[in-house]
Amino acid sequence: MNTKAPQAALERPVLALVPGDPTGIGPELVARVLADGRMQEVARLLLIGDQRVVEMGMRQAGVSLHLALIDTPDEAVFDTGTVPMIDLGNLDPATFAIGRPDPDVGRKVGDTLAAAVRLAQAGGVRGVTFAPLHKKAMFDGGWRFPDEHQLFAHLIGHNGLFREMNVLEGQWMSRVTSHVSLREALDLVTEDNICNSLRLTDRVLRAAGIEAPRIAVAALNPHGGEGGLFGREEIEIIAPAIARMQAEGIDCRGPYPSDTVYIKAFKGEFDSVVAMYHDQGQIATKLHGFNKGVTVTAGLPIVFTTPAHGTAYDIVGQGIADTGAMESAIRLAARLATRQNQTIEETA
Amino acid sequence: MPAGRPAPVALTCGDPSGIGPEIAVTARAALGADLSFVWIGDPRHLPEGAPWAEVATPDGAHDVPAGVLPVLRHDFPAPACPGAPDPANAAGIVAVIARAVDLVQSGAAGAVCTAPINKLGLKKGAGFAFPGHTEFLAHLAGVRRVVMMLACPELRVVPATIHIPLAEVPQALTPDLLEDTLRITHAALIRDFGIAAPRIAVTGLNPHAGEGGAMGHEEAALIAPVLDRLRAEGMNLRGPLPADTMFHAGARATYDAAVAMYHDQALIPIKTIDFSGGVNLTLGLPFIRTSPDHGTAYDIAGRGLADASSLIAALDMAHRMAAARGD
Repeated sequence: MNTKAPQAALERPVLALVPGDPTGIGPELVARVLADGRMQEVARLLLIGDQRVVEMGMRQAGVSLHLALIDTPDEAVFDTGTVPMIDLGNLDPATFAIGRPDPDVGRKVGDTLAAAVRLAQAGGVRGVTFAPLHKKAMFDGGWRFPDEHQLFAHLIGHNGLFREMNVLEGQWMSRVTSHVSLREALDLVTEDNICNSLRLTDRVLRAAGIEAPRIAVAALNPHGGEGGLFGREEIEIIAPAIARMQAEGIDCRGPYPSDTVYIKAFKGEFDSVVAMYHDQGQIATKLHGFNKGVTVTAGLPIVFTTPAHGTAYDIVGQGIADTGAMESAIRLAARLATRQNQTIEETA
Repeated sequence: MPAGRPAPVALTCGDPSGIGPEIAVTARAALGADLSFVWIGDPRHLPEGAPWAEVATPDGAHDVPAGVLPVLRHDFPAPACPGAPDPANAAGIVAVIARAVDLVQSGAAGAVCTAPINKLGLKKGAGFAFPGHTEFLAHLAGVRRVVMMLACPELRVVPATIHIPLAEVPQALTPDLLEDTLRITHAALIRDFGIAAPRIAVTGLNPHAGEGGAMGHEEAALIAPVLDRLRAEGMNLRGPLPADTMFHAGARATYDAAVAMYHDQALIPIKTIDFSGGVNLTLGLPFIRTSPDHGTAYDIAGRGLADASSLIAALDMAHRMAAARGD
């Protein structure tokens, strides 16, 4: 591997790695992943957070790392057996208990993410991969956003379109509406919003290296509206949106009744399903083990990925947390950041 | 009924130009003689060469050898052309359903299992004014409210609202509807499934069950008060819970049935878990009614391609529920 490193380093993007909410399994995941060293093949990882939290993670995971504390990304040296880290010194493990949410911790986790975003905006890192957050702790701690995607868009000052996507084994799941009440979601199912979701999904899948993405579109109503008997949104809104996007060259089909569309996708008939509302997509994908997958914030100029699972308070601190989704999140961020970089260079 | 001879399940023919007749024959072959059922319909509508034997009463099915379909004869005016429903047969399809209900209400049959019908065809051919089987059965039984349950070995789930546009769900969800749905589900778990102290999990309407009001208010304003009221009566209810984390195996082990707020919230999990074996049940009738969870499948009718597994599961469930009720 050492012989390969110099050349590979040119292709491997620098990613900020954030330990997530330290009351959960984030610190031990990060420590174990860095100690295993496998991710060196796909990315150059720069830790950002509190050194003491990472040291706690090492103890929890039963591994040791050599950290090289730096102030700015350009001081980082990779592939030397030490892990470069920007220590924010903002989260002392002596001040909180693991295994339960803490608004004060949530506030500082938000601060840490904001620092990672600033690094990316300054060009120091190409993407950000973060261990699981506790949304409610962050919200209660003062970061008043329903999810981290909206927090990132706010931090970047992004006014355009962005969406959460959930990725597992080649399936990219997205939705037109997300963390809003069902009543609000119904109002937001518009032809323009569906078209924008389809355009974004197509673009992100292409950016991830899928040359001809096949996208299925879920219906809104039972039985897909059964010809207008149980609702007319399929006829008046969704089908016209699909036709418009097909005319733009996007391979999208539907609307399909939502109780079977995911089964078709899991069989391999599609690369992606665009749902109309939160539970429609989340019920099927979580049943299919998508908590082993990766959540991506699609549409922002900075790549963000995170494991789809949560803080796992039931097993925190035992060193038994599975790093599979965390590694998948790093791989995916590396893939997206590399291609985004190439695209930028090609268009420059 | 004499001991050892439980009343057989009455299976309707459904639309004879759909897959109903052929899957009845397949089910009989698969189930053997232990699970006794009688098919009500016109033997001319059965696939050519299928073994059948006429019986005078459902109880006669016990004397028919395995592999031979016991038939309670109900003559139709026209033969059945697979895939092409004949309006002349519409009245017969409706009459068979009514006859099955008569048999179960008299005790001659232990349960009703219905094969798929085409509602539009029945409306045109026989002026059938009901949206489906469920409403017609409720009418025949004279009950005001019934509940649809979908069941497979891994999950029982009840949608509180069913075949309405999603946009109408928030208005349709009333405290009365929710309370009736929970009471009917609870009573059926005790009587038909033999569960002495049923545990029911209830979904929220909104993402993350509203997340404390951040994403909708129906959980706090509507669902929680109904649950509190029924809990005070001693029902074991949990919820409102986020629907997306309620259906994995670990969660399912903590309840006997889930009550969802709308059609797809119930149908997505059950179809994902068990695509073909799901059974549709009507709870709240004075008798047991099950049906396979699929339609007439005109596109494949008469070609020997139909999958009978859902009907087999429906007959098996009807049989077991009748046994639970008899105990």
